Amino acid sequence: MIEVEGVLVRFGGVIALNEVSARFTAPVAGIIGPNGAGKTTLMNVISGFVTATAGRILVEGEDFLALAPHRRAHRGLRRSFQKDQIADDLTVFDNVLVQLDFTLAGGAAKRAEVMRMLDVVGLADRAGRIGAELTGFERRLTDVARCLVGRPRLVMFDEPAGGLSVEETHRLGELIQGIHGLTGAQTLVIDHDVELIARVCAETLVLDFGRRIAFGPTADVLADPRVKAAYLGTEEVAP
Amino acid sequence: MDRNLFHVTPRGWAGLGLAAFCFAVLPAVVGSYWLSILTSAACFTMAASGVAFMYARLGMVSLTQVGLMGIGGWVALRLNYAFAFPFEVNLVLAALATMICGWVLALPALRMRGLYLALVTLMAAGGLEIIFSTFQFPNGGSGFWGVKIGSADPFRGPALAPGPAAYLRYVVVMVTLGFLFIEGHRRLFPGRAWALIRRSEAAAMAAGVNVTLYKTWAFGIAGLLAGASGTLLAGSLGLLDDGTFRSPESIMIFALSVVGGAQYWLGAVVAAVLYRVLPGLLNQWGVNADLAFVIFGAGLLHAVITAPDGIAGQIWGGIGRLMSRRKGGAE
Ligand SMILES: Nc1ncnc2c1ncn2[C@@H]1O[C@H](COP(=O)(O)OP(=O)(O)OP(=O)(O)O)[C@@H](O)[C@H]1O
Ligand SMILES: [Mg+2]
Repeated sequence: MIEVEGVLVRFGGVIALNEVSARFTAPVAGIIGPNGAGKTTLMNVISGFVTATAGRILVEGEDFLALAPHRRAHRGLRRSFQKDQIADDLTVFDNVLVQLDFTLAGGAAKRAEVMRMLDVVGLADRAGRIGAELTGFERRLTDVARCLVGRPRLVMFDEPAGGLSVEETHRLGELIQGIHGLTGAQTLVIDHDVELIARVCAETLVLDFGRRIAFGPTADVLADPRVKAAYLGTEEVAP
Repeated sequence: MDRNLFHVTPRGWAGLGLAAFCFAVLPAVVGSYWLSILTSAACFTMAASGVAFMYARLGMVSLTQVGLMGIGGWVALRLNYAFAFPFEVNLVLAALATMICGWVLALPALRMRGLYLALVTLMAAGGLEIIFSTFQFPNGGSGFWGVKIGSADPFRGPALAPGPAAYLRYVVVMVTLGFLFIEGHRRLFPGRAWALIRRSEAAAMAAGVNVTLYKTWAFGIAGLLAGASGTLLAGSLGLLDDGTFRSPESIMIFALSVVGGAQYWLGAVVAAVLYRVLPGLLNQWGVNADLAFVIFGAGLLHAVITAPDGIAGQIWGGIGRLMSRRKGGAE
């Protein structure tokens, strides 16, 4: 269970998160909202890149806000960013292995785990390619594989489907749905693709101007008139 | 354990080939003037490899590398006159002491990004320059600073390498080991962490990389190599002069490493050749050695404008094109 309690974040005069609370219990949960709603900021608070003025974040009961960012990763936090974070001069294999380097497990066990997760995402045959040679989707899949290794407890994806085709998004959705069964981790997904969210997320948090405007089972949330007004309203304005 | 750890790339073979040439052929064919210049160039190659590696891997700019060489040389001379350790022991101790001094000087800046490290190391270089010119280098005198008036006491060089030709060979071996040390790191877990840090510090942290630790580690390697190269320089001359370690020299070595091509071993060699061999050549031709600065300036402009990967990048690129044309012609 992921507990977000009264998280408050200010950037100068802007209140990016206004006492947001949510208790995520579903294997896969979504976070949606219009541009600038504070979705990425919430993930940054959970990862430790942004400091909250007030509030608490508990991952399976463990207080995460007290830990340095890299320690949160050691404690089972994984995330991808809006932009992929693949080092161009490392192979796919090494790009994933880096996530396991802090552990004291034996080299063979680490290698086996990396290969297993590359197999899951479908990149086993490209393990030796360097990052610079990958397509956008392959880079995204490498990010996903990196999130799967090392017994994750909480995996967060920030707009993972950005720039992907319909089929690629579908494949990504399947992978995200499989994470809980594969690793036992809970997953949080931010995306503007409401179809994807509706398909993979059992529960969803909706943010608007840094406030929580709805939270609950995805179908209920998407049917909420306030959500339609705030979120889908901007969808109509956007081309 | 790592399948790829011992894989030798074509550029790696070229490097080993050059090292073999410098070991087997050069010392046998050049006179004493060039032996001393080439030995000094080899020492500065090692120092340049340290700054270049840090810049290429992490974008960290250190402007105190030659100052750190001075620390290594100072410690080596101090140990030489205080104890009867063999040269190799002094070499290792001086390298470690330099690494630690480098950390102490740079630690406050290693947490910060961008220009801060450059500024802090530049100030450190200035401070070291003052210390060296005030206290000079130990030459067998008494007391902590160990300086006396008059000629220096003898310096114990490596027992393995009596005489200047053998010493050049010895330094070539050490420089090669230095490059292998860097390359080994690059191929193991520190190299993965550095690559991700360079991609983005946030991504590295999210992958569990302790960014400050790995930056400190990289700075430590650069310090270690500076200390070793300072010791080797002391071993070549038997004494050191504070004029060698002024702060502009540190800036020069950094700039030349960029001109040479910071991401390649060849870049450090080019930097040291420009820094030491070019003035030696100009001297021999009876031209004012200050002309070297004009050439350095032109080289820097050239690098900034047309060769982002430095001269080494252009050399490798040229060789690559030549090879593929050959292949294409043969088919
Ligand atoms: N580092 C920062 N400094 C200042 N303001 C910031 C910073 N990060 C975010 N903000 C502001 O906080 C608000 C929330 O931004 P955030 O990036 O969390 O939105 P988002 O919901 O992820 O939007 P998008 O869908 O466009 O990615 C915005 O008004 C943004 O301008
Ligand atoms: Mg965002």
